[in-house]
Amino acid sequence: MRVPASERLLAYVILIAMAALVLAPVLAGSITAFKPQIIWVSSPPTWIFEPTLENFEFVFFTRKGWQYLRNSLIISFGSVAIALLLGVPAAYAFARFRFRGSKALMQWLISLRMIPPIVVGLPFYAMFLYLERGLGIGLRDTFPGLIITYQTFLLPLVIWMMRGYFAELPAAMEESAMVEGYTRMGALLRVVLPVVWPGIVATAILNFIFAWNEFFLALILAGNRTSTLPMTAGTYIVRTRVEWGNLFAVNMIIMAPVIVLTIVLRRQLVKGLTFGILE
Amino acid sequence: MKVVLKDLVKRFANAERAAVNSINLVIEKGELAVLLGPSGCGKTTTLRMIAGLEQPDSGCISIAERDVTDLAPKDRRLAMVFQNFSMYPTMNVYDNIAFPLHAIKMKRGEIDRTVREVARLVNIDHLLERSVRQVSGGEAQRVALARAMVRRPEVFLMDEPLSNLDAKLRVQLRTEIKRLHQDTGTTFIFVTHDQEEAMTLGDKIIVMNNGDIQQVGSPHEVFFAPRNAFVANFVGTPSMNMLEGAVLADDGGGYRLQLPGFELSLPVRFHDGLANLAGNRVIWGIRPEAIKLASAPAGNGVSGKVELVEALGSRDLIFARAAERLFGLIVDAQESLAVGAPCHLHFPGEQMHLFDAESERSLLNDLPPSDAPLCPPASRGAESPSGWGEALQKG
Repeated sequence: MRVPASERLLAYVILIAMAALVLAPVLAGSITAFKPQIIWVSSPPTWIFEPTLENFEFVFFTRKGWQYLRNSLIISFGSVAIALLLGVPAAYAFARFRFRGSKALMQWLISLRMIPPIVVGLPFYAMFLYLERGLGIGLRDTFPGLIITYQTFLLPLVIWMMRGYFAELPAAMEESAMVEGYTRMGALLRVVLPVVWPGIVATAILNFIFAWNEFFLALILAGNRTSTLPMTAGTYIVRTRVEWGNLFAVNMIIMAPVIVLTIVLRRQLVKGLTFGILE
Repeated sequence: MKVVLKDLVKRFANAERAAVNSINLVIEKGELAVLLGPSGCGKTTTLRMIAGLEQPDSGCISIAERDVTDLAPKDRRLAMVFQNFSMYPTMNVYDNIAFPLHAIKMKRGEIDRTVREVARLVNIDHLLERSVRQVSGGEAQRVALARAMVRRPEVFLMDEPLSNLDAKLRVQLRTEIKRLHQDTGTTFIFVTHDQEEAMTLGDKIIVMNNGDIQQVGSPHEVFFAPRNAFVANFVGTPSMNMLEGAVLADDGGGYRLQLPGFELSLPVRFHDGLANLAGNRVIWGIRPEAIKLASAPAGNGVSGKVELVEALGSRDLIFARAAERLFGLIVDAQESLAVGAPCHLHFPGEQMHLFDAESERSLLNDLPPSDAPLCPPASRGAESPSGWGEALQKG
């Protein structure tokens, strides 16, 4: 279908306006991250200045930003790894077998994504408290505790995305391998996983972004030992002032990997996101 | 190897009727058996149960006198070619063919020799280094054949392997499968809905419908001596002309048949079957190839007018309207008639078929049903596999 030039022009104008609306604050903030403290909030804003890395230096070293970065990485990688380990086989089972309640289970999984984090966070907090006092199992302010909690929103996403990839493949692919001398597990590992590998990568990255950006559950369940980067961003907004330059420096550190990953993998991400939904 | 199915039942959840309804079947060693029937008749389910990809609800399966009913697919020593899958997409042709050999931990040198030998056999030895994207549909199906052959299975299973190919390729590969069967002498079980494919390939054709076996026989038997109206109608293109009519009492000149708009006298060979059927409704049938064009109104026939002519090459398919019915007949192209020409159809008695209107069973070819017990009743697993192997030989 050919779209008339006038309509295309209109579409571009609207898209550029929307993008500008979203990106302008990000851009302004990013510029502020490189401003020396005295001109953070100068009025009118200063646009011409000598860029400095002092804000980054401050948040990274003086305020121990590198520790929070490390925590964020441990929690994000850890929770994505666990989500894939549990979710990929589960997705395969959902794609290939019909069992009692399989449909309802899938619906329930997607409904988990609709729950606001506070509904999950507070019970988890209470549960961790009971475990700690009753059984002596300490999960509050630990990496395993956060990684377990993150499964509530990562696992459903892994299962829904991966089920889409598995369902696209003909069942005869594994069946062929099974007749040719392999078990179903052998067929899955040797034949199916290599084919859906790009899907696993896309799923992993999207889940990484979700885990990386997570704020609310960490706020409730993480403590001094496990604070994540997004949590610390809030510490630059105090009662008497906002440390704009430092805040935006942290924000840039948080955004950087997300932006890079999204640009590199935008095609797979769109495919991954619409999978299962457009079935 | 000999394959025996005994009282095999498969019922899918939520299905009204069984997909496979207690079938019994013996496929002899080295035979090329074709399971033929319309979609949903249970042929593919039957094949998948033999492969072990579906678990039967009851009944048992033995391959080479070995009860395999509860064995995993990998332990059944068979190979399968699928309709909608031919190559593992992440491997090249060579690795595809070698794949089943890795499962049995064959040595690298031996794998290499076997792969090249089998590839040569199906004429893909020049494609070995190609990736899945660089082979055509026909070549991919050859790769599937090679992968099936490479382990020297006891039984080849083929689930409509040619259906997704274009007509010319289909015929070509069909010939090659036939040749492969002759060269290897292995038992083949081939599933198709294409009766021409079944006819050209099969030593034995098993016609199925609604989960039941309708007839087991040679291609000639199912074509010339269909045991019921379903087989008569399903086998043969164009299909058999069939009309419902009534048997008239024997008035001394033999039985006659009242059909809508005309009467026929029935040949003597039907008389035994008709002994108690005077007045009953029957289905009369005759194949398009059997109808003769007569120059004048003939005794056993009807007159009409040519309505449509389709050229088939050396022969023409004529649709003629007579007694307000459309008859299909096949004649030599030289004898063909023009559209609108009057014609006299003659129905040779020896090529007529009669079926009971109610049971649809043939009144002539009602041979002992092939689904008669093959082995004495035995609950699954109660006897040793060799036990019911012996029973089969006695039976």
